[in-house]
Amino acid sequence: MDGAESRASLVGFDREHSRRDFLKTAGWVTAALSAAGFGGVALASRADAQEAAYTTYQGLGDAAILSVAYQLELLEGNFYAAGVDSGLFTDDFSVSQLAAIRDHEFAHADAIAGVLSSLGAAIPEPNLVFPPDVTADAATFLTYAATLEPVGIGAYQGAAPALVDKNILASAISIHNAECQHWNAIKILQGIVPPNNVAFEEPLPLQTVLEAGAPFGITA
Amino acid sequence: MEKHMINVPSVEGFARPRTRRDFFKALAVAGVGAAAGSAVLSRPAFAQGGGGDLDIGNFALTLEYLEAEFYTRAVDSGVVSGDALAAVINLREHELAHVDALTGLITQSGGTPVAKPTFTFPPDTFSSQASILSLAGTFEPVGVGAYLGAAPMIQSPDVLAAAGSIAGVEGEHVVTINNLNGVVPPANTPFPAALMMDEVLAAVAPFMGMGSMPSTGGVAQSSGRSIRL
Repeated sequence: MDGAESRASLVGFDREHSRRDFLKTAGWVTAALSAAGFGGVALASRADAQEAAYTTYQGLGDAAILSVAYQLELLEGNFYAAGVDSGLFTDDFSVSQLAAIRDHEFAHADAIAGVLSSLGAAIPEPNLVFPPDVTADAATFLTYAATLEPVGIGAYQGAAPALVDKNILASAISIHNAECQHWNAIKILQGIVPPNNVAFEEPLPLQTVLEAGAPFGITA
Repeated sequence: MEKHMINVPSVEGFARPRTRRDFFKALAVAGVGAAAGSAVLSRPAFAQGGGGDLDIGNFALTLEYLEAEFYTRAVDSGVVSGDALAAVINLREHELAHVDALTGLITQSGGTPVAKPTFTFPPDTFSSQASILSLAGTFEPVGVGAYLGAAPMIQSPDVLAAAGSIAGVEGEHVVTINNLNGVVPPANTPFPAALMMDEVLAAVAPFMGMGSMPSTGGVAQSSGRSIRL
Protein backbone atom coordinates (compact mmCIF):
# COMPACT_ATOMS: atom_id res chain seq x y z
CA MET A 1 0.00 0.00 0.00
CA ASP A 2 1.23 3.44 -0.81
CA GLY A 3 2.01 5.28 2.39
CA ALA A 4 0.98 8.76 1.28
CA GLU A 5 -2.25 7.52 -0.18
CA SER A 6 -3.25 5.59 2.92
CA ARG A 7 -2.56 8.60 5.08
CA ALA A 8 -4.57 10.88 2.83
CA SER A 9 -7.50 8.51 3.05
CA LEU A 10 -7.20 8.40 6.81
CA VAL A 11 -7.61 12.14 6.96
CA GLY A 12 -10.84 11.82 5.06
CA PHE A 13 -12.39 8.86 6.84
CA ASP A 14 -16.00 9.03 7.86
CA ARG A 15 -17.05 9.24 11.47
CA GLU A 16 -18.33 5.73 11.85
CA HIS A 17 -15.19 4.24 10.39
CA SER A 18 -13.13 6.45 12.63
CA ARG A 19 -15.07 5.32 15.67
CA ARG A 20 -14.48 1.68 14.79
CA ASP A 21 -10.76 2.25 14.38
CA PHE A 22 -10.66 4.13 17.61
CA LEU A 23 -12.27 1.26 19.50
CA LYS A 24 -9.82 -1.16 17.96
CA THR A 25 -6.93 0.99 19.08
CA ALA A 26 -8.49 1.73 22.43
CA GLY A 27 -8.78 -1.99 23.11
CA TRP A 28 -5.12 -2.78 23.02
CA VAL A 29 -4.05 0.44 24.62
CA THR A 30 -6.45 -0.27 27.47
CA ALA A 31 -5.07 -3.76 27.88
CA ALA A 32 -1.56 -2.42 27.84
CA LEU A 33 -2.21 0.34 30.33
CA SER A 34 -4.12 -1.84 32.75
CA ALA A 35 -1.27 -4.32 32.62
CA ALA A 36 1.03 -1.45 33.46
CA GLY A 37 -1.06 -0.56 36.46
CA PHE A 38 -2.64 2.67 35.30
CA GLY A 39 -5.96 3.65 36.84
CA GLY A 40 -9.24 3.18 35.05
CA VAL A 41 -10.23 6.83 34.92
CA ALA A 42 -7.36 7.87 32.72
CA LEU A 43 -7.75 5.03 30.23
CA ALA A 44 -10.17 6.64 27.83
CA SER A 45 -8.25 9.87 27.53
CA ARG A 46 -4.93 8.07 27.17
CA ALA A 47 -6.25 5.81 24.43
CA ASP A 48 -7.79 8.82 22.77
CA ALA A 49 -4.50 10.70 22.90
CA GLN A 50 -2.62 7.76 21.39
CA GLU A 51 -4.77 7.80 18.28
CA ALA A 52 -5.66 11.45 18.06
CA ALA A 53 -2.05 12.63 18.27
CA TYR A 54 -0.78 11.61 14.84
CA THR A 55 -3.93 12.69 13.03
CA THR A 56 -3.16 16.27 14.09
CA TYR A 57 0.09 16.14 12.06
CA GLN A 58 -1.38 14.51 8.96
CA GLY A 59 -1.51 16.70 5.91
CA LEU A 60 1.12 19.12 7.23
CA GLY A 61 3.86 17.62 5.14
CA ASP A 62 7.30 16.51 6.25
CA ALA A 63 8.93 19.95 5.93
CA ALA A 64 6.38 21.66 8.19
CA ILE A 65 6.76 18.92 10.81
CA LEU A 66 10.55 19.14 10.64
CA SER A 67 10.40 22.92 10.92
CA VAL A 68 8.79 22.59 14.35
CA ALA A 69 11.18 19.80 15.31
CA TYR A 70 14.16 21.94 14.32
CA GLN A 71 12.99 24.78 16.57
CA LEU A 72 12.46 22.37 19.47
CA GLU A 73 16.00 21.04 19.04
CA LEU A 74 17.47 24.56 18.94
CA LEU A 75 15.51 25.40 22.07
CA GLU A 76 16.77 22.30 23.86
CA GLY A 77 20.35 22.79 22.70
CA ASN A 78 20.45 26.37 23.92
CA PHE A 79 18.69 25.41 27.12
CA TYR A 80 21.29 22.75 27.98
CA ALA A 81 24.11 25.08 26.94
CA ALA A 82 22.77 27.59 29.47
CA GLY A 83 22.66 24.86 32.09
CA VAL A 84 26.23 23.76 31.45
CA ASP A 85 27.47 27.37 31.40
CA SER A 86 25.52 28.36 34.51
CA GLY A 87 28.01 26.86 36.93
CA LEU A 88 25.11 25.33 38.86
CA PHE A 89 26.45 21.87 38.16
CA THR A 90 29.97 21.04 39.25
CA ASP A 91 30.22 17.25 39.61
CA ASP A 92 31.59 15.31 36.66
CA PHE A 93 28.52 13.13 36.30
CA SER A 94 26.07 16.02 35.93
CA VAL A 95 28.32 18.16 33.76
CA SER A 96 29.20 15.33 31.39
CA GLN A 97 25.58 14.29 31.04
CA LEU A 98 24.23 17.80 30.45
CA ALA A 99 27.03 18.56 27.99
CA ALA A 100 26.29 15.31 26.12
CA ILE A 101 22.59 16.15 25.90
CA ARG A 102 23.45 19.67 24.69
CA ASP A 103 25.64 18.19 21.96
CA HIS A 104 22.95 15.69 20.99
CA GLU A 105 20.32 18.41 20.62
CA PHE A 106 22.56 20.51 18.41
CA ALA A 107 23.43 17.41 16.37
CA HIS A 108 19.70 16.80 15.92
CA ALA A 109 19.20 20.41 14.86
CA ASP A 110 22.04 20.15 12.33
CA ALA A 111 20.68 16.90 10.92
CA ILE A 112 17.18 18.32 10.58
CA ALA A 113 18.50 21.51 8.97
CA GLY A 114 20.23 19.33 6.42
CA VAL A 115 17.00 17.54 5.60
CA LEU A 116 15.07 20.82 5.40
CA SER A 117 17.65 22.10 2.92
CA SER A 118 17.40 18.95 0.85
CA LEU A 119 13.63 19.42 0.76
CA GLY A 120 14.11 23.01 -0.43
CA ALA A 121 12.41 24.27 2.72
CA ALA A 122 13.40 27.34 4.73
CA ILE A 123 15.35 26.82 7.94
CA PRO A 124 13.49 28.71 10.69
CA GLU A 125 15.24 31.35 12.75
CA PRO A 126 13.19 31.52 15.93
CA ASN A 127 13.74 34.24 18.52
CA LEU A 128 14.15 31.94 21.47
CA VAL A 129 13.05 33.20 24.86
CA PHE A 130 13.87 31.57 28.19
CA PRO A 131 12.06 32.16 31.47
CA PRO A 132 14.17 34.37 33.77
CA ASP A 133 14.40 31.67 36.44
CA VAL A 134 15.60 28.91 34.12
CA THR A 135 19.02 28.78 35.79
CA ALA A 136 17.88 30.01 39.22
CA ASP A 137 19.17 26.82 40.81
CA ALA A 138 19.95 23.25 39.84
CA ALA A 139 16.58 21.87 40.86
CA THR A 140 14.68 24.50 38.87
CA PHE A 141 16.82 23.85 35.80
CA LEU A 142 16.19 20.10 36.04
CA THR A 143 12.47 20.70 36.48
CA TYR A 144 12.45 22.67 33.23
CA ALA A 145 14.46 19.88 31.60
CA ALA A 146 12.00 17.28 32.84
CA THR A 147 9.20 19.37 31.32
CA LEU A 148 10.89 19.99 27.98
CA GLU A 149 11.94 16.40 27.29
CA PRO A 150 8.44 14.90 27.28
CA VAL A 151 7.36 17.69 24.90
CA GLY A 152 10.09 16.67 22.47
CA ILE A 153 9.24 13.01 22.96
CA GLY A 154 5.54 13.66 22.47
CA ALA A 155 6.15 15.76 19.36
CA TYR A 156 8.27 13.16 17.57
CA GLN A 157 6.04 10.31 18.68
CA GLY A 158 2.89 12.11 17.65
CA ALA A 159 4.32 13.18 14.30
CA ALA A 160 6.06 9.93 13.33
CA PRO A 161 3.06 8.16 11.74
CA ALA A 162 2.30 11.32 9.77
CA LEU A 163 5.73 11.52 8.12
CA VAL A 164 5.52 10.51 4.48
CA ASP A 165 9.19 9.94 3.62
CA LYS A 166 10.44 6.70 5.18
CA ASN A 167 14.03 7.93 5.42
CA ILE A 168 12.86 10.93 7.40
CA LEU A 169 10.75 8.65 9.57
CA ALA A 170 13.81 6.47 10.26
CA SER A 171 15.71 9.53 11.43
CA ALA A 172 12.82 10.95 13.43
CA ILE A 173 12.24 7.72 15.30
CA SER A 174 15.95 7.54 16.17
CA ILE A 175 15.91 11.11 17.46
CA HIS A 176 12.72 10.31 19.39
CA ASN A 177 14.62 7.51 21.09
CA ALA A 178 17.48 9.83 22.00
CA GLU A 179 14.97 12.19 23.62
CA CYS A 180 13.55 9.33 25.67
CA GLN A 181 17.07 8.50 26.76
CA HIS A 182 17.59 12.14 27.74
CA TRP A 183 14.45 12.14 29.84
CA ASN A 184 15.69 9.08 31.69
CA ALA A 185 19.05 10.78 32.31
CA ILE A 186 17.29 13.88 33.65
CA LYS A 187 15.26 11.71 36.02
CA ILE A 188 18.52 10.16 37.22
CA LEU A 189 19.93 13.65 37.85
CA GLN A 190 16.75 14.49 39.77
CA GLY A 191 17.34 11.49 42.01
CA ILE A 192 14.19 9.65 40.93
CA VAL A 193 14.41 5.93 41.81
CA PRO A 194 13.81 4.03 39.68
CA PRO A 195 14.19 6.48 36.77
CA ASN A 196 12.54 4.05 34.34
CA ASN A 197 9.03 4.74 35.57
CA VAL A 198 6.81 4.67 32.50
CA ALA A 199 5.80 1.57 30.52
CA PHE A 200 4.69 3.52 27.44
CA GLU A 201 5.83 6.90 26.12
CA GLU A 202 3.08 9.42 25.42
CA PRO A 203 2.48 11.18 22.08
CA LEU A 204 1.33 14.80 22.02
CA PRO A 205 -1.01 16.39 19.48
CA LEU A 206 0.42 19.26 17.42
CA GLN A 207 -1.61 21.91 19.23
CA THR A 208 -0.22 20.86 22.62
CA VAL A 209 3.33 21.00 21.29
CA LEU A 210 2.82 24.44 19.82
CA GLU A 211 1.20 25.73 23.01
CA ALA A 212 4.10 24.39 25.05
CA GLY A 213 6.64 25.93 22.68
CA ALA A 214 4.99 29.31 22.15
CA PRO A 215 6.30 30.96 25.37
CA PHE A 216 9.82 29.98 24.25
CA GLY A 217 9.40 31.59 20.83
CA ILE A 218 8.55 28.51 18.78
CA THR A 219 6.09 29.08 15.94
CA ALA A 220 4.27 26.81 13.51
CA MET B 1 25.55 -0.11 2.45
CA GLU B 2 27.25 -0.62 5.76
CA LYS B 3 27.25 -4.19 6.96
CA HIS B 4 27.66 -5.00 10.61
CA MET B 5 29.10 -8.29 11.66
CA ILE B 6 27.94 -9.91 14.82
CA ASN B 7 29.86 -12.73 16.37
CA VAL B 8 27.31 -15.18 17.56
CA PRO B 9 28.48 -18.01 19.77
CA SER B 10 28.04 -21.44 18.25
CA VAL B 11 25.69 -23.83 19.99
CA GLU B 12 28.70 -25.50 21.58
CA GLY B 13 30.21 -22.18 22.54
CA PHE B 14 26.95 -21.10 24.06
CA ALA B 15 26.61 -24.21 26.18
CA ARG B 16 30.16 -23.83 27.38
CA PRO B 17 31.17 -20.20 27.01
CA ARG B 18 34.89 -19.67 27.22
CA THR B 19 34.24 -16.95 29.72
CA ARG B 20 31.17 -14.94 30.44
CA ARG B 21 33.05 -11.84 29.42
CA ASP B 22 33.69 -13.24 25.94
CA PHE B 23 30.06 -14.13 25.60
CA PHE B 24 28.84 -10.69 26.54
CA LYS B 25 31.46 -9.07 24.36
CA ALA B 26 30.25 -11.01 21.35
CA LEU B 27 26.67 -10.02 21.95
CA ALA B 28 27.50 -6.42 22.68
CA VAL B 29 28.67 -5.98 19.11
CA ALA B 30 25.05 -6.07 18.08
CA GLY B 31 24.31 -3.02 20.13
CA VAL B 32 27.19 -0.79 19.21
CA GLY B 33 28.03 -1.68 15.62
CA ALA B 34 25.88 0.94 13.97
CA ALA B 35 26.28 3.79 16.41
CA ALA B 36 28.78 5.87 14.48
CA GLY B 37 27.75 8.61 12.13
CA SER B 38 24.59 10.50 11.42
CA ALA B 39 21.39 8.54 11.19
CA VAL B 40 19.91 10.95 8.73
CA LEU B 41 19.42 9.65 5.22
CA SER B 42 22.36 7.34 5.67
CA ARG B 43 21.49 3.78 6.44
CA PRO B 44 18.25 2.25 5.20
CA ALA B 45 18.07 -0.45 7.84
CA PHE B 46 14.45 -1.00 6.93
CA ALA B 47 15.23 -2.02 3.37
CA GLN B 48 15.31 -5.60 4.51
CA GLY B 49 12.13 -7.17 3.26
CA GLY B 50 9.73 -8.38 5.88
CA GLY B 51 6.23 -9.73 5.89
CA GLY B 52 3.99 -6.91 6.98
CA ASP B 53 2.82 -5.50 10.27
CA LEU B 54 1.71 -8.83 11.76
CA ASP B 55 5.11 -10.43 11.20
CA ILE B 56 6.83 -7.38 12.62
CA GLY B 57 4.48 -7.50 15.59
CA ASN B 58 5.29 -11.14 16.25
CA PHE B 59 8.99 -10.44 15.87
CA ALA B 60 8.68 -7.69 18.49
CA LEU B 61 6.56 -9.94 20.71
CA THR B 62 9.30 -12.57 20.67
CA LEU B 63 11.86 -10.01 21.80
CA GLU B 64 9.54 -8.74 24.54
CA TYR B 65 8.97 -12.32 25.75
CA LEU B 66 12.73 -12.75 25.96
CA GLU B 67 13.22 -9.54 27.92
CA ALA B 68 10.24 -10.23 30.19
CA GLU B 69 11.56 -13.69 31.07
CA PHE B 70 15.06 -12.37 31.61
CA TYR B 71 13.93 -9.68 34.07
CA THR B 72 11.44 -12.00 35.77
CA ARG B 73 14.24 -14.46 36.46
CA ALA B 74 16.50 -11.58 37.50
CA VAL B 75 14.00 -10.41 40.12
CA ASP B 76 13.39 -13.99 41.28
CA SER B 77 17.12 -14.67 41.59
CA GLY B 78 17.30 -12.71 44.83
CA VAL B 79 20.76 -11.37 43.97
CA VAL B 80 19.63 -7.90 42.87
CA SER B 81 19.14 -5.29 45.58
CA GLY B 82 18.71 -1.61 46.32
CA ASP B 83 18.19 0.88 43.50
CA ALA B 84 19.02 -1.84 40.98
CA LEU B 85 16.18 -4.01 42.29
CA ALA B 86 13.69 -1.14 41.98
CA ALA B 87 14.81 -0.59 38.40
CA VAL B 88 14.73 -4.29 37.50
CA ILE B 89 11.24 -4.73 38.95
CA ASN B 90 10.04 -1.91 36.70
CA LEU B 91 11.90 -3.40 33.76
CA ARG B 92 10.04 -6.67 34.33
CA GLU B 93 6.69 -4.87 34.61
CA HIS B 94 7.29 -2.80 31.47
CA GLU B 95 8.32 -5.78 29.35
CA LEU B 96 5.29 -7.75 30.56
CA ALA B 97 3.09 -4.77 29.68
CA HIS B 98 4.69 -4.68 26.23
CA VAL B 99 3.96 -8.40 25.80
CA ASP B 100 0.31 -7.78 26.68
CA ALA B 101 0.08 -4.75 24.39
CA LEU B 102 1.60 -6.55 21.41
CA THR B 103 -0.49 -9.66 22.01
CA GLY B 104 -3.63 -7.53 22.02
CA LEU B 105 -2.53 -5.57 18.99
CA ILE B 106 -1.77 -8.70 16.94
CA THR B 107 -5.02 -10.38 17.95
CA GLN B 108 -7.14 -7.35 17.18
CA SER B 109 -5.41 -6.93 13.84
CA GLY B 110 -6.58 -10.43 12.91
CA GLY B 111 -3.28 -12.19 13.51
CA THR B 112 -2.15 -14.98 15.79
CA PRO B 113 0.37 -14.04 18.46
CA VAL B 114 3.39 -16.35 18.61
CA ALA B 115 3.60 -18.58 21.66
CA LYS B 116 6.25 -17.76 24.20
CA PRO B 117 9.42 -19.58 23.12
CA THR B 118 11.59 -21.58 25.47
CA PHE B 119 14.59 -19.44 26.35
CA THR B 120 18.05 -20.45 27.41
CA PHE B 121 20.48 -18.25 29.31
CA PRO B 122 24.19 -18.76 29.77
CA PRO B 123 25.22 -20.49 33.00
CA ASP B 124 25.79 -18.07 35.89
CA THR B 125 23.65 -15.36 34.27
CA PHE B 126 21.53 -15.07 37.39
CA SER B 127 24.30 -15.66 39.92
CA SER B 128 25.16 -12.01 40.53
CA GLN B 129 23.76 -8.53 40.08
CA ALA B 130 26.75 -7.63 37.93
CA SER B 131 26.18 -10.45 35.44
CA ILE B 132 22.47 -9.64 35.21
CA LEU B 133 23.13 -5.94 34.56
CA SER B 134 25.85 -6.80 32.09
CA LEU B 135 23.51 -8.94 29.99
CA ALA B 136 20.77 -6.30 30.34
CA GLY B 137 23.25 -3.84 28.87
CA THR B 138 23.42 -5.94 25.72
CA PHE B 139 19.71 -6.72 25.49
CA GLU B 140 18.34 -3.22 25.65
CA PRO B 141 20.17 -1.65 22.69
CA VAL B 142 19.16 -4.68 20.61
CA GLY B 143 15.54 -4.06 21.52
CA VAL B 144 15.85 -0.39 20.61
CA GLY B 145 17.60 -1.26 17.35
CA ALA B 146 14.92 -3.78 16.41
CA TYR B 147 12.11 -1.25 16.80
CA LEU B 148 14.07 1.50 15.02
CA GLY B 149 14.87 -0.84 12.15
CA ALA B 150 11.30 -2.08 11.83
CA ALA B 151 9.48 1.24 12.22
CA PRO B 152 9.80 2.46 8.61
CA MET B 153 8.42 -0.88 7.35
CA ILE B 154 5.22 -0.59 9.38
CA GLN B 155 2.17 0.22 7.28
CA SER B 156 -0.50 0.97 9.87
CA PRO B 157 -0.13 4.33 11.62
CA ASP B 158 -1.71 2.82 14.73
CA VAL B 159 0.86 0.04 14.83
CA LEU B 160 3.63 2.57 14.21
CA ALA B 161 2.33 4.74 17.06
CA ALA B 162 2.43 1.72 19.35
CA ALA B 163 5.93 0.74 18.22
CA GLY B 164 7.21 4.26 18.84
CA SER B 165 5.70 4.30 22.30
CA ILE B 166 7.39 1.02 23.23
CA ALA B 167 10.70 1.80 21.50
CA GLY B 168 11.07 4.97 23.54
CA VAL B 169 10.66 3.02 26.77
CA GLU B 170 13.36 0.59 25.64
CA GLY B 171 15.53 3.65 25.10
CA GLU B 172 14.89 4.72 28.66
CA HIS B 173 15.88 1.24 29.78
CA VAL B 174 19.23 1.59 28.01
CA VAL B 175 20.04 4.65 30.11
CA THR B 176 18.82 3.16 33.38
CA ILE B 177 21.00 0.10 32.82
CA ASN B 178 23.98 2.18 31.68
CA ASN B 179 23.71 4.14 34.90
CA LEU B 180 23.58 1.01 37.05
CA ASN B 181 26.61 -0.28 35.13
CA GLY B 182 28.55 2.90 35.94
CA VAL B 183 28.60 4.25 32.39
CA VAL B 184 29.20 8.04 32.45
CA PRO B 185 27.29 9.77 31.01
CA PRO B 186 24.52 7.18 30.81
CA ALA B 187 22.72 8.91 27.90
CA ASN B 188 25.50 9.01 25.34
CA THR B 189 24.06 8.39 21.87
CA PRO B 190 22.68 11.23 19.71
CA PHE B 191 21.24 8.85 17.12
CA PRO B 192 20.36 5.43 18.59
CA ALA B 193 21.10 2.84 15.95
CA ALA B 194 18.64 0.84 13.90
CA LEU B 195 19.47 -2.82 13.45
CA MET B 196 18.76 -5.03 10.47
CA MET B 197 16.38 -7.86 11.16
CA ASP B 198 19.10 -10.45 10.61
CA GLU B 199 21.33 -8.63 13.08
CA VAL B 200 18.62 -8.82 15.70
CA LEU B 201 17.98 -12.47 14.94
CA ALA B 202 21.66 -13.25 15.22
CA ALA B 203 21.83 -11.51 18.59
CA VAL B 204 18.88 -13.36 20.09
CA ALA B 205 19.37 -16.76 18.43
CA PRO B 206 21.56 -18.16 21.21
CA PHE B 207 18.82 -17.48 23.75
CA MET B 208 16.40 -19.50 21.66
CA GLY B 209 18.64 -22.52 21.44
CA MET B 210 19.74 -21.71 17.92
CA GLY B 211 23.40 -21.47 17.11
CA SER B 212 23.11 -19.91 13.70
CA MET B 213 20.50 -18.04 11.77
CA PRO B 214 19.73 -17.42 8.11
CA SER B 215 20.91 -14.11 6.69
CA THR B 216 17.40 -12.76 6.30
CA GLY B 217 14.22 -12.86 8.32
CA GLY B 218 11.53 -15.46 7.94
CA VAL B 219 11.72 -19.10 8.89
CA ALA B 220 14.67 -19.87 11.11
CA GLN B 221 15.82 -23.45 11.24
CA SER B 222 17.89 -25.34 13.71
CA SER B 223 18.14 -29.03 14.41
CA GLY B 224 15.09 -29.84 12.36
CA ARG B 225 12.99 -27.35 14.26
CA SER B 226 11.72 -24.15 12.75
CA ILE B 227 10.45 -21.03 14.35
CA ARG B 228 8.47 -18.46 12.48
CA LEU B 229 9.48 -15.03 13.70
